[in-house]
Amino acid sequence: MKKHPRFAVVGHPNKGKSSIVSALAMDDSVQISDMPGTTQKQRSFPLKVDGKVLYELIDTPGFQRPRQVLEWLQKEKVSAEKREERIRLFINKYENDERFNDEIELLKPIVEGAGIIYIVDASKPYGQEYETEMEILRYTGQPSMALINHIEEADYALEWKRVLGQYFKMVRTFNPMSVNLENHISILESMAQLKEEWIRPVKEAIELFESYHKQMLEKSCEVISHLIYDALSYKERLSLKNEEVQESEKEEIEQKYQASLRQLERRSQKKIEEIWNHKNLEKTQNILAFEEIDLFSKEAASVFGLTRQELVVTGATSAAIAGAGIDLLFMGHTLLLGGAIGGLVGGVGAYFSFDKLSEIKLLGQKVGKHYLQMGPMQNRNFPYILLGRALYHLFIIMHRSHALRSAVELDEGQAFKVEWLNDALKKDLERYHQLFRKEIVVEGEKLTEYARVVQSAIGNIDNKVLNILN
Amino acid sequence: MDLKLYLNLYALLQRDVSTKEQQRAFGLEHAVLKHKPIAQLAAWEKRYIDLLKRPLLSERVTSYLYIMTFLLGTLSFILGLFSGIALLSYNGHEPVNVVYFMAMVIFFPLFTMLLALFAMFKSRSNSNILMHLTPAYWMEKIAARFAHKEESFKKHFNMDPILAKWIVLRRAQCMALLFSVGLLLALLGTVVTRDLAFAWSTTLKITPDGFYAFLNMLAFPWREFIPSAIPSLELIEHSQYFRLGERLSNEMITHVEQLGEWWKFLAMATLFYALFLRTILYLIVTIGYKRALKKSIFSLEGTSLLLNNMNKPFITTGALEGEGVVFSVSKDVQMLRELESVYDFIQGWALSSSFLEVLNEVMKVKAQHQVVEVGGSNTLSQDSEIARKSFGKVLLYVKAWEPPTLDILDYIELLLEYAGRVVIYPVGTENEGYQAKEKYIQIWVDKISMIDTSKIWIKVP
Repeated sequence: MKKHPRFAVVGHPNKGKSSIVSALAMDDSVQISDMPGTTQKQRSFPLKVDGKVLYELIDTPGFQRPRQVLEWLQKEKVSAEKREERIRLFINKYENDERFNDEIELLKPIVEGAGIIYIVDASKPYGQEYETEMEILRYTGQPSMALINHIEEADYALEWKRVLGQYFKMVRTFNPMSVNLENHISILESMAQLKEEWIRPVKEAIELFESYHKQMLEKSCEVISHLIYDALSYKERLSLKNEEVQESEKEEIEQKYQASLRQLERRSQKKIEEIWNHKNLEKTQNILAFEEIDLFSKEAASVFGLTRQELVVTGATSAAIAGAGIDLLFMGHTLLLGGAIGGLVGGVGAYFSFDKLSEIKLLGQKVGKHYLQMGPMQNRNFPYILLGRALYHLFIIMHRSHALRSAVELDEGQAFKVEWLNDALKKDLERYHQLFRKEIVVEGEKLTEYARVVQSAIGNIDNKVLNILN
Repeated sequence: MDLKLYLNLYALLQRDVSTKEQQRAFGLEHAVLKHKPIAQLAAWEKRYIDLLKRPLLSERVTSYLYIMTFLLGTLSFILGLFSGIALLSYNGHEPVNVVYFMAMVIFFPLFTMLLALFAMFKSRSNSNILMHLTPAYWMEKIAARFAHKEESFKKHFNMDPILAKWIVLRRAQCMALLFSVGLLLALLGTVVTRDLAFAWSTTLKITPDGFYAFLNMLAFPWREFIPSAIPSLELIEHSQYFRLGERLSNEMITHVEQLGEWWKFLAMATLFYALFLRTILYLIVTIGYKRALKKSIFSLEGTSLLLNNMNKPFITTGALEGEGVVFSVSKDVQMLRELESVYDFIQGWALSSSFLEVLNEVMKVKAQHQVVEVGGSNTLSQDSEIARKSFGKVLLYVKAWEPPTLDILDYIELLLEYAGRVVIYPVGTENEGYQAKEKYIQIWVDKISMIDTSKIWIKVP
């Protein structure tokens, strides 16, 4: 018998067992279907830390012929202590009988010591036929709890609770479609209560699970940090056919430049989805737009970026701080001109760079090789737009339940920017954006620092936004 | 930690040679190195180095750098030697002006060292003008262009420019050091093999007293230990040389045996300014290079992730193996849109008698013989008995929201043995007005279609 806690998720067909397992195991590879009998074999989802299993969830097929099983079990009157043996006998007798394939698959882990998590759908009325299933589970003598799932809007939870309370030690409500870290942990805590010996390992698992969540968030912010740096410092080159630059060549390099930036964004999104175990995600998303909704139009800026006015203030403030450093160096003998000039230059620069992507430069003339270069990104609004989109994507992905099979709609949410971008953060970000734009190599430490700023931005977004977005 | 480690790590990280699980296993295996990231990375590089193609990029780059350093170093030494010989050339008519030699062994090294210091502090910028002022930078550029190596390496690898700068800075100090060794050897060689007469000459209005004070200042590092290596005021007065007159002054000629004494000062100046200070700078640059190398290693794409994977618990929550895909082939099923008003038997699967009464009323149907509950809390023998007694047309209500289990299919198959025709009617809940949702009806249609008989019908809206 395995030593770690095991939990068999059982129930009537189509009551969301696989959805619950998918959400709790953060695995979107589980087949979820309206057709009963999609799950035909028990499937194990262990929480493993460095190869050591802390607990195991087992997805099982639904009951198909519970009345026949119960009838067989009750055919002979046995004392409570012999019931487990009777179930083993049933399993041994019908192991190769296709009629009881589903029951055998679901009973096997239970007789091997797994705790029972019985799933019901409280959006459907209670029916007497469930009692046979609950009787069989009670017959096994294993610790058990019931989870009330709500697949649809209707609510029959009260009548369910009245019945479930008679059969199970604990009854909890859990919606796998909108699971968050808090209710995930709450369910794990309930599972730990099923057996005294399981409290310690499951508690340990909860702690690790929290650190796992933190790890995923940190990794995602690192990915975003690299995306912003790579996009801002990216340079596109195009060799020229003739000495004179053709208009078509200018267009070509601009298109290539934009395509490369989009590619960077897509790659980073993919990495974040992998970090959060969303490997089978289908997305409907607006691509990073440069023309369709003009990236630098007021409309686009108001969604994720800054408005021209905000940008001017941010540019002026950060340059004024640099200028003030000079004033400080000269003990104020500059009559604070450093700060004033810095602010003016920063503000004017930000104003004029508002609708410019990057300059197209003709390079290589000295060495006889003519080529055009576009980048690094000069537009000061671009990093905010890109970062806003990346945060939005991360926010959606980290809050998305693995039980969902619908396509993710990544449409731009108006409320989003307001929630994460405050003045203090703008100043912090602008400092790094200036650094990334310079043609210098940025050390890994700086990118890690930027990732921390990104993480604080994620912290600014609360569940209110999630509700608005949903 | 050396350049090879950096290059090998770069090549290995590009190839993604190990999985997250293997990286964590490696971290646990080398737990003592947990807080020594460089040692940990070096051990990891050693483990996987054999997976890289030979010749290794690191071998090619370091051998190129070695050859380049050797060639440029030799060239610098020869240049220093010949420059020294040229500066000390004495034709017997005019004395050797020590100011030239001083410029070469004191002022020029101080100036280039100052440049190097600025370049060190400004070493983060890509277009660092100070770097471009370094002769070593251009010597290497020219040599690399002749060897066609620069472009060839760039195709495979773009070295961190900060690290590249520190390599150039370090090599520049090495070359300057060898150049100074050449100068010193030239001085000693010339002093030993020739009878030199040193003098000092300048257009500037500098009195011997002033020049003496200046030289005393320059000689501060050794004036306490080797006082003979500082020219005396008398020697300075005697060795001042004016070009006008085209003849040596009588005073010079009178004290000609003293004029050679300058060599001690020049040798000490070379030793201290050109060699000692340069060696100190070389050591500082070496420290800077090591730091840059360390930072470059940590800045490699994938390094932080690798360290993270090695040192943090490897947590997995997903399934161990994939899930088999279930395919179901559905056939056509006979569908009925309108119910008949009378059936021989009306049965309800897991539906109570009272519920059935309401349903019949709503659906406006009657049973000629029996309205009865099947499934639910019935025993199998009760159901079997009911099926056996059924005949003619049977209407079987089922809960549309509950999926068809094998239990109900068993019953339908049994019922079909006795009944002439069975109509399955999936109904909705009371709240839905007993009208089932489309998606639930479809599930029933799909399931019923698996029963191969013409005696079964399904009621659809």
